[in-house]
Amino acid sequence: MTPRTATPLRPTVRPADDLLAAVHAGDDAAVPPSCWDVLEPHLPEVKKPAQYTGIEHNTSPKGWGDADVRWLLCYPDAYEVGQPNQGIQILYEVLNERADTLAERGYSPWVDLEERMRADDIPFFSLEHHYPLWAFDVFAVTLPHELGHTNLLNALDLGGIPIEAADRTSDHPIVLVGGHAAYNPEPLAPFIDAAVMGDGEEVVLEVDDVIRAWKREGDGDREVLLRRLADIEGVYIPALYEPRYLDDGRLKQTVPTRPGLPHRVPKRTVQDLEQWPYPKKQIVPMTEVVHERFSVEIFRGCTRGCRFCQAGMITRPVRERRPETIKALVDEGLRNTGFEEVGLLSLSSADHAHIGDIARDLADTYEGTATGLSLPSTRVDAFNVTLSNELARNGRRTGLTFAPEAGSERMRAVINKMVAEEDMLRTADVAFANGWRHIKLYFMVGLPTERDEDVTAIGELGIKVFEIAQRYGRKNRVTVSVGGFVPKPHTPFQWAPQDPPEEIHRKLDLIKQVISPHRGLTLRTNDPEEGVIEGLLARGDRRVAPAVRRAWELGSKFDGWHEFDTLDTWRQALDETGVDLGWYSYREREGNEALPWDHLDSGLEKEWLWEDWQESLSEQELDDCRWSPCYDCGVCPGLDLVHDTGYQPGLLAGKALPVVATAATPVNERPLGGNAGLPTAPARIVPAATSEGDEA
Amino acid sequence: MQRIRVRYTKEGRVRFVSARDLTSVWERALRRADLPIAYSEGFHPHAKVSFPDALPVGYASTGEYAELTFAAPVDPGPALQALSATLPPGMDILVYFEVPDGAPKLAKMLEATMWECVLPAPDEAGDAAPAQPLADRINDLCAEIVEATELPVVRRRPKGDKSIDVRPWLADLRASVRPDEAGRPTTILRAIFTNDGPSVRPTELYEVLTTYADGDLTQPRLYRRVSQGRVEADGLTEALSGEHEPLAPNRLVGAA
Repeated sequence: MTPRTATPLRPTVRPADDLLAAVHAGDDAAVPPSCWDVLEPHLPEVKKPAQYTGIEHNTSPKGWGDADVRWLLCYPDAYEVGQPNQGIQILYEVLNERADTLAERGYSPWVDLEERMRADDIPFFSLEHHYPLWAFDVFAVTLPHELGHTNLLNALDLGGIPIEAADRTSDHPIVLVGGHAAYNPEPLAPFIDAAVMGDGEEVVLEVDDVIRAWKREGDGDREVLLRRLADIEGVYIPALYEPRYLDDGRLKQTVPTRPGLPHRVPKRTVQDLEQWPYPKKQIVPMTEVVHERFSVEIFRGCTRGCRFCQAGMITRPVRERRPETIKALVDEGLRNTGFEEVGLLSLSSADHAHIGDIARDLADTYEGTATGLSLPSTRVDAFNVTLSNELARNGRRTGLTFAPEAGSERMRAVINKMVAEEDMLRTADVAFANGWRHIKLYFMVGLPTERDEDVTAIGELGIKVFEIAQRYGRKNRVTVSVGGFVPKPHTPFQWAPQDPPEEIHRKLDLIKQVISPHRGLTLRTNDPEEGVIEGLLARGDRRVAPAVRRAWELGSKFDGWHEFDTLDTWRQALDETGVDLGWYSYREREGNEALPWDHLDSGLEKEWLWEDWQESLSEQELDDCRWSPCYDCGVCPGLDLVHDTGYQPGLLAGKALPVVATAATPVNERPLGGNAGLPTAPARIVPAATSEGDEA
Repeated sequence: MQRIRVRYTKEGRVRFVSARDLTSVWERALRRADLPIAYSEGFHPHAKVSFPDALPVGYASTGEYAELTFAAPVDPGPALQALSATLPPGMDILVYFEVPDGAPKLAKMLEATMWECVLPAPDEAGDAAPAQPLADRINDLCAEIVEATELPVVRRRPKGDKSIDVRPWLADLRASVRPDEAGRPTTILRAIFTNDGPSVRPTELYEVLTTYADGDLTQPRLYRRVSQGRVEADGLTEALSGEHEPLAPNRLVGAA
């Protein structure tokens, strides 16, 4: 393939039709004009210009002519937030390893640059070669939460792509979303061409194949392409489905409009993470970003069963990486990036079957070097202190974070956070006794069935932990951090009413009153208003889409940033489009009500979620199925996984959950965590945890 | 501990990396090159890489300097070659100098700085004058400036503007014509400021020059720090290499 030479044209937000057709041609595609020359004169005038240069270490050197299918991977937020995203890093490598595929990255330009881009007719661009968005075949956007929706519309507009999918031609990119918020893409349905649920590693390659074949055929019918994409497992094409409503306004059902389409679109699950050891060559930022470290995902999925946690529900089952793979990824990753810190990521990293060995092995390797290790785990368990001690051999014992999530035992039973107050206090005692100076505690208010005594219990628990802190040193600190709960799809709390911001404010004030006499105990709260948009978009249906568009037209963007107060704009948009916030967010849904995401299959049975919701209301806890019999949530059947679990079938009758990991080699005789008195394993293996659940 | 001073460039896209981010860019490159850089003591160890002064974001440079301290001896040639290869594109090590014990501080060796203002090539902007006449015109203004006893520059401060006289620190300045990246004759103004006073930016000098031209002067498209060292006749002696950097290089180019 010999691409035409770069057109010396100046790139514009809305390109001429013939240029658009030329760059989208199946073969002999023209190279689109780079935006760099027109962008460069603006950079000295904007904040943090290094974020727009795209010469970070480990970026792909591929150019336009090296590929025939081209992806722009986007995190619809500022570079400093989006750059560390693991999903983008993984897919970037997976796609660029293909000979004929090009992947570049794009982030939302900060408002100062956007203003200049609009004034100077500069389109949304990729970082590596500054190609305009409209030139790519796929605009793949990750939606880790709902507060990037308006930024997505803004990127389309700035990138020369029609906002409505129906207005796009075969010369426009396919707009595809993934990530956790893609499990309910209905509020974005008119604006996206496709949503992909689940793990992206395999499905992006299948999408890539389908697009390549379609381009080679060259007949250019976009509908044909969309129909073929719909045949890929895990790909949902909203235009091919139609929601139907009851007379009372509730949803009746969302149904496919063409024969041969699945009634429920399944999510994708990568069954063996060992086959996908990415990222290997993580991109190294050249300017400050939120997480500057080499990250290794030590396992995917979580089965703790916290009822509020969408991530824990939709990423099941648990799939562990082998300790030796983790070690190799860390060693190779550090060499390739030069990062000074390693993060061992997962939804609950202390739960890896061999976490003690992994921590010790890494600590042995990097002891005495300038490499730091971190384990973002918030488990309330003294074993977490053991691990933190181990990983902090090189550094200072500063702060530990724990997430009891709720203040009272009753409330924790409702949300299935199986932590007794005694556990919390013992953990705090062990932490301060081991020289840690600061404990942060995460809580939520606005949880289902919450009473005022559950709320004040947050403050009281904070005080008890603070009293322990003071016994070990007057300078020790405790921070209580409280956020408002937002119910999410595909969780047992998907039927629950959300608290309006006024109610959250009232509850935060209750905690403030309890805590205020205790100087040195700090209370941090999130702005309750921020949960309003998030909640609406999380559980909204397709009728919310006009409000998203209107809010963006009225100027909403960066909805998750304190710098931008977009709530008033949103309220105006809701008024104008007739969307009733109370009906979507503050009402309890009934068991027989169809939900906007019922046709999207996260693997969890709706009946099981309902049952768990009912058990929650009667304050019954449910064990982690890694260590107890299967309770048939619905995820595992049909997956071909190697079964090997910490749960021993002799102990309790039932099915085992798939977990893959081999035993790690014991490394040395030194007590784990440097103190023989510390627990060497998590508290979970004690079968008593199960009987406790039965008693509740 | 082995100490090595280097002169490096900051050209192209990397010039948008701020002085604040420079330390981690170098630290990570040193780690990738697997060089035994020394670390500071304490709970948050930092690689021992020091930079004598900060370059404003967006300025190009062929005259940046750093001092590296190694915990174990390295063979400077191959080590710095490996380091230069893994530094961002546009950031290249040009010269190095192993520091003997008792050597003066790096900042002391950088007595003066040569800056340049690169004007747009004549066909780049509609209002740009052809290169040689523009250089001649600027040189006439330079002659006036050298004669001036005072060159007031206004600095905007939150607490009110402040005027400072930069004349005592201006050693010399001259315009010349040089081909740009595309080979087009381009006017360049070079100026040398001594580093013993307040740091003067070339933008400030150009503002003064524009005042002397009654506001009618093409604005530069790029500012560059050329090199640093000791002032000498018609130029500067570069601190690490001892090479002469002339104020008006390639004076004849474009004059034909």
